[in-house]
Amino acid sequence: MKVVGKPLERRDAWDKVTGRTRFLADIPLGEAWYGGVLRSQVARGNLAGIARDAGFDWSQVVVITAADLPGPNTVAMIREDLPLLADGEVSFVGQALALVAAPDRATLAAALAALRPDITPSPAVLSMEEALRGETVIWGEDNVIADYTIAPDDMAAFEAAMATADRIIEGTYRTGYQEHIYLEPQGVVADPRPDGGVEILGSLQCPYYVLNALARGLGLERDRLVVRQSPTGGAFGGKEDYPSVLAMQAAVLALKSGRQVAMLYERHEDIIASTKRHPSRTRHRTAIAEDGSLLAADIDVVLDAGAFTTLSPVVLSRAILHAAGSYNIPLVRIRGRAVATNTPPNGAFRGFGVPQSIFAAERHMDRIARELGVEPLALRRQLVLERGDVLPHGQVLGEGNAAGALVLERAVTLSGYEKRRGELAAANAAAAERGDPVRHGIGVSLVHHGAGFTGDGEDRIATVVRVRGEADGTVTVLCSSVEMGQGAETVLPAIAAEALDLPLEAVRYHQPDTAAVPDSGPTVASRTTMVVGKVLVQACDDLVRRARAHGADARAAWSAQAAAGEALVGEGRYEPDPDIRWDQEHHHGDAYPGYAWMATVVEAAVDTDTLEIHPERVTAVAEIGTAINPVLCVGQVEGGMVQSLAWGYLEEVKLDGGRYLNDRLATYIIPTCLDAPRFEVELAAEPSPRGAYGAKGLGELPMNGGAPALAAAIEHALGIAPDTIPMTPDRLLEQLQARAQEARP
Amino acid sequence: MKIVCIVNGERRELEVQPLRRLLDVLREDLGLTGTKEGCGEGECGACAVHIDGRLMNACQVPAFQVHGRKILTVEGLGTRESPDPLQAAFVTAGAVQCGFCTPGLLMASRALLDAKAAPTEAEIRAGLAGNLCRCTGYGRVVEAVRSAAGMRSGREGEDQSHPHGGPDVGSPVPSADDAVQVFMPNTLAEALAVMDHGEAVVMAGGTDLMAAFHAGRPLPDKVLDISRLRELTGIMLSPRRVTLGAAVSYTDLLNSTEVTAHWPALAEAARQVGAPAVQNMGTVGGNLVNASPGADLVPVLAALDGVVVLASTGGERRVPVLDFYKGYRDPDRRPDELVAAVELPRPAAGVRQAFFKAGTRRAQSIARVNLACCARIDTQGRLTDVKLVAGSVGPTIVALRETMAYMEGRRADEGGLDAACRRLASGEVHAIDDVRASADYRRQVLGNLVTKFVKIFV
Repeated sequence: MKVVGKPLERRDAWDKVTGRTRFLADIPLGEAWYGGVLRSQVARGNLAGIARDAGFDWSQVVVITAADLPGPNTVAMIREDLPLLADGEVSFVGQALALVAAPDRATLAAALAALRPDITPSPAVLSMEEALRGETVIWGEDNVIADYTIAPDDMAAFEAAMATADRIIEGTYRTGYQEHIYLEPQGVVADPRPDGGVEILGSLQCPYYVLNALARGLGLERDRLVVRQSPTGGAFGGKEDYPSVLAMQAAVLALKSGRQVAMLYERHEDIIASTKRHPSRTRHRTAIAEDGSLLAADIDVVLDAGAFTTLSPVVLSRAILHAAGSYNIPLVRIRGRAVATNTPPNGAFRGFGVPQSIFAAERHMDRIARELGVEPLALRRQLVLERGDVLPHGQVLGEGNAAGALVLERAVTLSGYEKRRGELAAANAAAAERGDPVRHGIGVSLVHHGAGFTGDGEDRIATVVRVRGEADGTVTVLCSSVEMGQGAETVLPAIAAEALDLPLEAVRYHQPDTAAVPDSGPTVASRTTMVVGKVLVQACDDLVRRARAHGADARAAWSAQAAAGEALVGEGRYEPDPDIRWDQEHHHGDAYPGYAWMATVVEAAVDTDTLEIHPERVTAVAEIGTAINPVLCVGQVEGGMVQSLAWGYLEEVKLDGGRYLNDRLATYIIPTCLDAPRFEVELAAEPSPRGAYGAKGLGELPMNGGAPALAAAIEHALGIAPDTIPMTPDRLLEQLQARAQEARP
Repeated sequence: MKIVCIVNGERRELEVQPLRRLLDVLREDLGLTGTKEGCGEGECGACAVHIDGRLMNACQVPAFQVHGRKILTVEGLGTRESPDPLQAAFVTAGAVQCGFCTPGLLMASRALLDAKAAPTEAEIRAGLAGNLCRCTGYGRVVEAVRSAAGMRSGREGEDQSHPHGGPDVGSPVPSADDAVQVFMPNTLAEALAVMDHGEAVVMAGGTDLMAAFHAGRPLPDKVLDISRLRELTGIMLSPRRVTLGAAVSYTDLLNSTEVTAHWPALAEAARQVGAPAVQNMGTVGGNLVNASPGADLVPVLAALDGVVVLASTGGERRVPVLDFYKGYRDPDRRPDELVAAVELPRPAAGVRQAFFKAGTRRAQSIARVNLACCARIDTQGRLTDVKLVAGSVGPTIVALRETMAYMEGRRADEGGLDAACRRLASGEVHAIDDVRASADYRRQVLGNLVTKFVKIFV
């Protein structure tokens, strides 16, 4: 292959290193007004009204409350339960109560300060446990937003195994919030159109999600709505669902004021208002036979959805589909629930529920190893899923989908895991002897991640990609997959160049714009390279086919047609695979077209004086099918890994009465260059027949593996088993004190 | 206010509000949008630029302070046709993903390589520690900087007529619509006269003030800029003491071989206080007057028997650093007084000093607990002149008086000394519970850190 597999330069790199890339806030606004949001300061209550200070000149601004909305009061996602503006009931701190547009920021701030909401607080549900108890019901009949079960085919055998096993090993695992901290905060600019429609330009992942939300919320036909993506400074899922909220806010202000309205969040507001990773609690009960073999597992996953549905059912679905981890356990039942609390709605974040459930699965594997008295690595080697094995949801792992043992063995070899485990244990003993406070540990995790939408999701999205032949012999890729740092603007053209036998320079990429590109689905779920890339290849083939109708030399033909004003456009459409079976109601069947695999070995230091953790060295082996651009792939692994590690020990959101306390970059702590480990990353390839040139999804995979490997390393270093993340110094201290208590006679 | 400065080699005359952020001047007035805003409070480094060759966060620099300065932004670093070697290295090594942090990272990398042509990996990481990147995990970035080390910047040939600053242009000219009156005196006497006339907010590095103004703190009527006051920007050494001017920066401390040799705990605190941009801006006086209980320098200054020199038209007043705080964020300073300096006596021979910080991360972090220690062994082998001062555990810094008294006069190798000190130190403070750490953690860690210091002598 000429382009695929080559470490080619990113196409957006030079503009980015010279400061020429224009992110949304870099585009001059001219006469635009600024939009802002009046937010609830209480977690739950009844909004009787919003008083306006008589001293403020209200004629100079536009104010919108729930009563003033042109369409239904909703931001449509999976459900329509999230109101654009609170109407009577208030459900979380930060919920939008009113919108204001003003000619400048100072007037905007003054207007927001002159609005006085009258809210009578009522008892709020502030934790998953409270929500499950159901004494106070804030959503539906029982606070349960979604409740799914993956059941074994032979339920009687499962129940018998759980009832009669030699022993049951139980564990409960918790994970905390995570804020995306894309370096570019959220923002959109809305322009009213003369025909009564609106155009949105924004930092976002999913142009057509926003378009759908606008069409529903404004009650407008799609031909009067346009959504364009501006260069996006990081997203990680944070710009999947939230831009629909922001775009609706800006759109109603633009329509009412008749002016361009910019809503550019600063960091503090971004953290308060935007979604976070769902906190989770997962219980494992594993039935063990007398000989130590695993008979059955009963797993219960609970996610804290926050006050409204957003994407939580889909996050939950993906979480439970990975909850048994990367291991072959004969009989598995998994139940998942997403429950409502009076906290800001949680949403998409790289990994989409899997980091939570797989953290529990990995920690539980370590617990089983500990209780059985075997090495964590030995247990993993014994249980790792292989080709032909059946996942709990009934999917048989086929060709190109079972690289667990491959990555595990390679990571163990590369890192010298077994030798280092002994060396570090000896070094710790020596350090204790001489009073040195620093301990070291090494841990391993094995994870996988299904790429693309779950089950028949890709059938429903029905991705369309087009490729247009240009007069100068180049082609332009037309799709709605956005560049947000992950490299779509480089990788998709590389795929097209390969398919068309063109140099990379001869392929252009059209910035996503719903007026110009077809709906190739959202830029999420590790689907862009694998799924959209595959449809792109079809589009390229189609262009060649059409061009050859005009002449033997396809390139010459499409150039000539374009020069004549009749540009040829090749089109690819996702074709449902007849072999894929999926039963959504029972979560049974072929959940994902491709699984990528990764083994991670983390060496970490802990200072026992301060209980500060430092991950020092990470070895990661990722099997991702064909690496279209290996430099970009390594970048994804390293970046995702640091996010995963930091989620495991550094990043913490504390709440007080439903209000985030860590709401600035001074208090929500993400890693600096000094906190990041040294990396050794290796890519392995078992090409997938379902992906473009054998590619599989990669973006989310590294987010799954860091935290559990780090927790295993801390267990190795300190001899305590951290089952809750983040492993803050406070938490480690508590565990060490509990152990000291137990050790007392 | 009319200011004159050189931006990317070009002389600019600008009409600005004095406290307008340099970030906004660059982005909105000059259209130089390569400099980004990621947090508005000096945490992320996306707005890092060079001012007179030093890395600074443009969100923390008021416009008036760049009068007569030379500013370099990413747009001036190089172009695709004529790039800085770092720009090319970032492209080649895969150090760019979303690109939003990239300009700031490049400016930090350039400042690092300008100061040290071939840094070690540890130096590279420390040099970039004030620039948050959420995409790359930093691995490719470190690789890019390493690969560009030793290569000359593309700006070698540019105008060097102002090597230590911009044009010599006198004072900025105030305008009728300035929201704030700025005083930029040339002498301490002039500064004190301004203080005497009423409430002026004193500004040196601006790291805390500019973030506070941006977050909504009302603007003052008057600002007194002491950042160029020669009498306050020097480190003066005498046989008996060192006098640190209030406007001495953390970088100045780190660059002083005398300070690092004789007051190593102070250098360590200056090293740990932040990352390069903040170290270049933040000052000794600012750290004292801002009066954050988590300040890193303050416990060290107290443990080293520092004395705050407060100047006013009525004369000087000296207050030991340990007595300088009357309560939470309440320094003992009259409105007409200027913190001019802090004096540190030269440590006696054999004094061991230490500064320990338990932070949230390894750079750019606010302490959960910090502790400054000094002591020496007398001729009889006994601990003496013991000083233990903790920060970030209560509303002000606190001396661990019971532990100090217990240690004083005891042999360092006395059995059980470390355990006794641990117990005392953990027990004697009323530690706070807050968003960063629990009270229990603070007590335990304080005990551990005191023990760590005691062990130095064994």
